Amino acid sequence: MINQAFAVIDKDQESIHTPGSIQPHGLLFVLSELDFRITQVSLNAIAILGIAPENLIDRPLENFIDRDRIAEIRDCLDPASEQTNPLNLSVTLNDGSTRFFNGIVHRAISGEIVLELEAIAATARRDFTQSYRNIKDTLAKIQVTKTLPELCDLIAKEVRQLTGFDRVMVYRFNQEGDGTVIAEDKQADLETFLGLYYPDTDIPQRAKHLYLLNWLRLLPDVNCQPSGLLTDGTGDAKLDMSHCVLRSLSPCHIQYLQNMGVSASMSISLIQQQRLWGMITCHHNTPKFVPYEIRTICEFLGQLMSTELSVKEGTQNLDYKLRLKATQVQFVNRLTNATDFLQALEDSPDDLLYLTGAQGAAVCEGDRVTLIGNTPGKEEVLDLLEWLPDRFQDDLFVTDSLPHLYPAAEAYKNVASGLLAMAISKNQNRYVLWFRPEFLQTVTWAGNPENPKQIAADGRVTISPRQSFAAWQETVRLKSLDWLQCEIEVAIELRSLIVDVILAQTDEMTRVNLELKRSNIELDSFAYIASHDLKEPLRGIHNYSNFLMEDYAEMLPEDGLAKLQTVVRLTQRMDDLISSLMHYSQLGRTELSRQSVNLNILVQQTINTLKISQPQDPIAFRLPHPLPTISCDLPQISELFTNLIGNAIKYNDSADPWVEIGFVESKLVRNGTQLAHTLYIRDNSIGIPPEHLERIFEIFKRLHPPDQYGGGTGAGLTIVRKIVERHEGKIWVESTPGEGSTFYFTLLEAVKP
Amino acid sequence: MTASSVRSKIQPPLLIVEDSNEDFEAFQRFMRQSSLTIPVYRCLNGDEALAYLYHTDRYSDPESAPRPGLILLDLNLPGNDGREVLRRIKQDDDLKSVPVVIFTTSNNPKDIEACYRQGVNSYIIKPMDFKLLKRSIQTLLEYWFNITMLPQNSL
Repeated sequence: MINQAFAVIDKDQESIHTPGSIQPHGLLFVLSELDFRITQVSLNAIAILGIAPENLIDRPLENFIDRDRIAEIRDCLDPASEQTNPLNLSVTLNDGSTRFFNGIVHRAISGEIVLELEAIAATARRDFTQSYRNIKDTLAKIQVTKTLPELCDLIAKEVRQLTGFDRVMVYRFNQEGDGTVIAEDKQADLETFLGLYYPDTDIPQRAKHLYLLNWLRLLPDVNCQPSGLLTDGTGDAKLDMSHCVLRSLSPCHIQYLQNMGVSASMSISLIQQQRLWGMITCHHNTPKFVPYEIRTICEFLGQLMSTELSVKEGTQNLDYKLRLKATQVQFVNRLTNATDFLQALEDSPDDLLYLTGAQGAAVCEGDRVTLIGNTPGKEEVLDLLEWLPDRFQDDLFVTDSLPHLYPAAEAYKNVASGLLAMAISKNQNRYVLWFRPEFLQTVTWAGNPENPKQIAADGRVTISPRQSFAAWQETVRLKSLDWLQCEIEVAIELRSLIVDVILAQTDEMTRVNLELKRSNIELDSFAYIASHDLKEPLRGIHNYSNFLMEDYAEMLPEDGLAKLQTVVRLTQRMDDLISSLMHYSQLGRTELSRQSVNLNILVQQTINTLKISQPQDPIAFRLPHPLPTISCDLPQISELFTNLIGNAIKYNDSADPWVEIGFVESKLVRNGTQLAHTLYIRDNSIGIPPEHLERIFEIFKRLHPPDQYGGGTGAGLTIVRKIVERHEGKIWVESTPGEGSTFYFTLLEAVKP
Repeated sequence: MTASSVRSKIQPPLLIVEDSNEDFEAFQRFMRQSSLTIPVYRCLNGDEALAYLYHTDRYSDPESAPRPGLILLDLNLPGNDGREVLRRIKQDDDLKSVPVVIFTTSNNPKDIEACYRQGVNSYIIKPMDFKLLKRSIQTLLEYWFNITMLPQNSL
């Protein structure tokens, strides 16, 4: 495994774009701006032209080349002109013979006009028609390829056929910058390099940058001596040779190729979205020159292939993508109809895993974690969730090597070396995590990738080319299979769909809540009006029964009179019930009128009132703690205490009856916006059987006949609960029959800022 | 409208606005059992009461609707209810001197508060208990027609 830190190597300091020398198979001139005087010339002039460089320097170019051609050179520099490289140039030598060259003109990045000459072998001349036919044939073949591997194989074959190199390879760079040979066409007797990995450090960043600037580099003879430049001394800046076809390669690169046993090489860039996607690399075991026209075709093929890459990559996983899409649609349909979407996620475990090609998943909401398939343990997932939230980008986090980022994950690398995490709601801690196990991959490197660096005595790290290219195998650990782009996209889409579903459900919930509130108000108002109207005929029955008794008392037998008295008693009881109902509904309808109430005073007043109304009861009142002062509706809370303490007295047949009014705590709730006071009323009354604990709060529910324990309508506790609810609190009871009961209740108030 | 005018001494009439016949019968019964003789006019609802007071519709003859010395007003009435009748009376410069007693089943604190704000002279909740009802009505009549001086406006 390559450590990325190794890539920071001083080779980048090499000024590979300003080597100050060229490859000796051609000639380089630098020309002055106006008069095309030769200001720099390569030292190999004598070998190429038979003229010593000293005899060329400072002389006008037109002394050696036709005037017409000079004009073409000038045109070539004009971007608007149609004149293009190469120019057919001829130079007449001292011995009267003429030599033919391809002239390649460009303006250097540093500003100079550069003319490079490459000799043309008479046999190597090609005409345009032939080049056109070559390209057309290749293009037709490219169009029928269906997959990326097919395309790469084709290009390797075509380039080799066109150039005659011993070996042509297509490299592809991965995220880390390592290159893999994904296609190869070679002489049969050569060992294959297919599938070999080349570490990122083999090609320095600076070189990769140059590969983006020009599409093709040729090195006809690795073992040649570079030729220096003779200058007239006027220019001071070093010539930027980024775009020079003759630029000599760095000694490092040359040594690298020599170590590989290569004598000539050519490489063509494959560029996708301004990124070096890969390279077509050609090797030859003996020196080999490729004429400019052929190079142009190769460059064109490189560009053509570059544009085809995205098309071929797009279709690569088409079937898989279509199946994913179908699963996703079904899945989301189920979610849309679900009331609890987390439950729905958990209910389709297979789909959930299939969607991202994971082997395990965790659906999390707060501390609730549901594990599906092969996953770390619940505690480990909760720990991971502590670390995870800051890592999300656009609510997504993807890694194929979790243990490298989060060392604790090494313990469960067998299930979760890869993690794809989606945040549905960070506020509510809702996440879906997908896991992939460690995938032990065997990578075959071209040589040991760890040894290209050397540390000098002064501590500087310098790079030296690898000596050995013998296959070197390494097992990649703590990594899962890569998450495919289409799998990540599924997660992104799923997230946005889930968020839509949640928003829709929230809207629905808000609507239902409003509806419920409205219908509650209507119900309260109905109960009030209905009970009011019920009272009128009831009063009539009551009054007329009394009229009957007053007017016809002497005509009625005693039995008849007693029955009339029962009618009257029942009308009074019914009136009590209706009054309770009205009171109850009124509690729900009226706004709370809160004020600061000292409960110590209120409770004391309540006790005093009860003592006056029931002076015969020798009840003991216990107040073990001081009570708080709270903000509440005074009449309602007064009624609450009257009812609860009144019940404690009423249902007490102990010899030493007592009632205790106590305070548990006041604490902040609902994110500190509310203060909840918990109080209790305890007694040694008859108690409540456990099966009745809930029913005692139901309206008109009585556990005893009306004539026992002082009667009553059975609305007291219902009203108490309503008052507690109006104060946003809860009421509950603990009771042991025969020993006593404790009613606990909380009353909430808003915290004042 | 029913007018019972058994008179021994000249009393200003009582206007009673009550929609329940049974309640009105109970009222009449308890009044009969008292020693008072008061001319009583009854309206069945708020609209009729307003017509009586403003001499419109079937009360256009002022003789048929003498100005009451006291108005006994139920709150929950069909049409314009007692609250509206009270508001109209107490906002009328002429009528506002007539004492109004609310005699109703409503024990809603809001009603009680609102009526006194309007200037009602008394608010009595109809008791359910027969004896209490009898005592309430007889005390009310005794108080307003025997103890209190009612305004003696021209009829």
